[in-house]
Amino acid sequence: MNEASEIPQEQLDLDVERSAEKAQAPVAVTVRDLNLYYGEVQALKDINLEIREKQVTAFIGPSGCGKSTLLRCFNRMNDLIEDCRTEGEIVLHGSNVQDPGIDVADLRRRVGMVFQKPNPFPKSIFENVAYGLRIQGINKRQTLEDAVEWALRGAALWEEVENRLDESALELSGGQQQRLVIARAIAVQPEVILLDEPCSALDPISTLKVEELINALKEKYTIIIVTHNMQQAARVSDRTAFMYLGEMIEYGETDQVFTNPRVKRTEDYITGRYG
Amino acid sequence: MRFRQWASTGAPWIWLNAAAVAALLLLVGGLVLLIAFRGLGHFWPTGVERIVYQDESGARSTLLGQVREREEISRQRLEEAGQEVPGEALDLQRILLKTGNRDISGSDFRWVLEARIVQRDKPYSAVVVERTEWGVFIGHLLGVRQGDSLVPGNDSWGAFQQAIERASRLRAEISELERDQIGEINHQLEQLRLRERRIELDGGDNPVALEEIETRRQELREQYLVFEAQLETYYEQIQRDQVVLETVDGQRVDLPLANVIKAWRPNEMSLGNKIGHFLAAGWAFVSEAPREANTEGGVFPAIFGTVLMVLIMTVVVFPFGVIGGIWLREYARQGWLTRTVRIAVNNLAGVPSIVYGVFGLGFFVYALGGSIDALFFEEALPMPTFGTGGLFWASLTLALLTLPVVIIATEEGLARIPRTVREGSLALGATRWETLWRTVLPMASPGIMTGLILAVARAAGEVAPLMLVGVVKLAPSLPVDGQFPYLHLERKFMHLGFHIYDVGFQSPNVEAARPLVYATALLLVLVTLLLNAVAIVARNRLRDKYRGLET
Repeated sequence: MNEASEIPQEQLDLDVERSAEKAQAPVAVTVRDLNLYYGEVQALKDINLEIREKQVTAFIGPSGCGKSTLLRCFNRMNDLIEDCRTEGEIVLHGSNVQDPGIDVADLRRRVGMVFQKPNPFPKSIFENVAYGLRIQGINKRQTLEDAVEWALRGAALWEEVENRLDESALELSGGQQQRLVIARAIAVQPEVILLDEPCSALDPISTLKVEELINALKEKYTIIIVTHNMQQAARVSDRTAFMYLGEMIEYGETDQVFTNPRVKRTEDYITGRYG
Repeated sequence: MRFRQWASTGAPWIWLNAAAVAALLLLVGGLVLLIAFRGLGHFWPTGVERIVYQDESGARSTLLGQVREREEISRQRLEEAGQEVPGEALDLQRILLKTGNRDISGSDFRWVLEARIVQRDKPYSAVVVERTEWGVFIGHLLGVRQGDSLVPGNDSWGAFQQAIERASRLRAEISELERDQIGEINHQLEQLRLRERRIELDGGDNPVALEEIETRRQELREQYLVFEAQLETYYEQIQRDQVVLETVDGQRVDLPLANVIKAWRPNEMSLGNKIGHFLAAGWAFVSEAPREANTEGGVFPAIFGTVLMVLIMTVVVFPFGVIGGIWLREYARQGWLTRTVRIAVNNLAGVPSIVYGVFGLGFFVYALGGSIDALFFEEALPMPTFGTGGLFWASLTLALLTLPVVIIATEEGLARIPRTVREGSLALGATRWETLWRTVLPMASPGIMTGLILAVARAAGEVAPLMLVGVVKLAPSLPVDGQFPYLHLERKFMHLGFHIYDVGFQSPNVEAARPLVYATALLLVLVTLLLNAVAIVARNRLRDKYRGLET
């Protein structure tokens, strides 16, 4: 109980400290005139957006508004869907992600992703975390062990699993699995981490743990999170984008979007009038 | 009303299902039990009965033999067959007596009407002798002649057993000499002949090489003479002993021990002895080669051929089927082409197996095999090497037959892998190939194994196409031996399924061979089961490793 009451205080301190630099944080990703079509259907319309480094940016909006689709543009996951076509550009540290000539595997190494449902591989805990490194051709036992421990500590899972690294990852609880998947993502040291409704399949306690983790991770990484839960967006994010029917309705600092929305539709959604 | 309530719970359907499953299990169990009982009974040392029998004219005769069957027969049938039937009863019992001694009496079996039997007993001293020809001998032992000395009477049983042991040792040495040493010489002579022919085909002017071949041939011939002399002495030794036997009607038979394989006195054997005999006879059946047009002896070459063929088939079908399935599911752009391929694959699974046999004969044996012969084995022509049915072509034909099963199973196995897992791997920077190789394929492996199990089950039991592409009723040698290259893919081979057909329906002595049909059928079922069990164990281990996938 004590712990629970302390955390918000800490967070508050951090937030106060940061609020000054928030506005000046450098831009990590720029989205320019992004249009996306599934066959004939347009799913994203003229999206323009700047995502700041080492901040948490939340995408909110009703189901089907395109927020997950937008998120999947950042690491080109939409390539897997047939008949999916994009226009416009997404610039990550100076290079256009949408460029057909880009090395997609390399891009995905730089932009990690965590999905809605925990999806560990049916391998040991150790091998799950080491997966991305092995893909890169790193097979030295010592290097892998160090990296796995580092990643698991980073995902606040090390204490729970340090004695059972060789057990199947499928034996972990849902919350542990989701943190394992986050550890797997940070093990390859990406620049950006995409979280696609990471807590929607978790119980409240696991959700709390993942949220704490997100707060800790933004020290090092740029984080983009899609969530259905507006309280969560308010709790974890620095900036919030509200989307509706494939359009970006409003984008700004989280405090401003939630307390003083500029657009009527945002206000309606946030106050629960629809969605 | 009550019934309708009960019916609405769905219980009747559950009961119906349970009944169907139970009926199926009973049928399968019954089938296996019947085959096992009929087949294994053959190896049991049944007691020998002496039967005094009075025929229609009142004359008595004595028979000695093993009771094989007892059945009911109607008076009408007997009278229609022209027999005079004693008594009043409408239905009579008759027994089938295996009397052996085919060389003396002309047949192994006799039907005897129980109503005509005057006396039945089991003489303690009755002997059953298994011979290399003419089936078994049933009678009494008079003595054993070793060279010039004769051990007479009942004391001779020990001497008889010793003599049998000596003879079988000698037989083993003879066959080893013939197969290994002399076989090797023949093989080398054949190689020399082929080299000579090669030189002839190349223009024929190489006196140095021809001379070398000739000297080598002389050497081999000299070696052969040495072995032949050795063989001669063995034959003399094995001809030394003779056993003197007597049939039940007093006829004396001198049997050389060279022709005796085994002898036992079933009426004086204890249960333990009988079990020992049963196991030894069963083992001989699975470990020895057949004799006497397959009606006697074992089926080892057929077991070996079946297993080897299935293994080669697996090695061929596995990569092709899996790669085909992967291409269809993972790489091919889904469209009219993949649809056509899928339809073709599905239809291929429905083609009658004999059609595959015809295709195998036309394409593999004649077209491919013929070309291989023309290119690489020209010197052996007109004797075909690969241009005739053989182990490899049979395996390929069956691989083709089972390919659709493996492709479909692979596709289904891959389709079951959740998209989230693939995305998880791709999101970590893995390419499609790395995702497939490191994650998707291992997870799909139990499904792929299921396909392989089905393929093995089908291939092990298939007979019809094999008859066209390489199975024979009696193969002169196993496809694996000590001569380079050790595995002879071009050789013809024996197969349990074909063996059943041959023994059961092509045999000169159907009644004697019938138990062998059951025993062989049991073996075929067991071999199929065993091959399946191996694959199932492998699959279950994979499944354990990747369980949790379904959640």
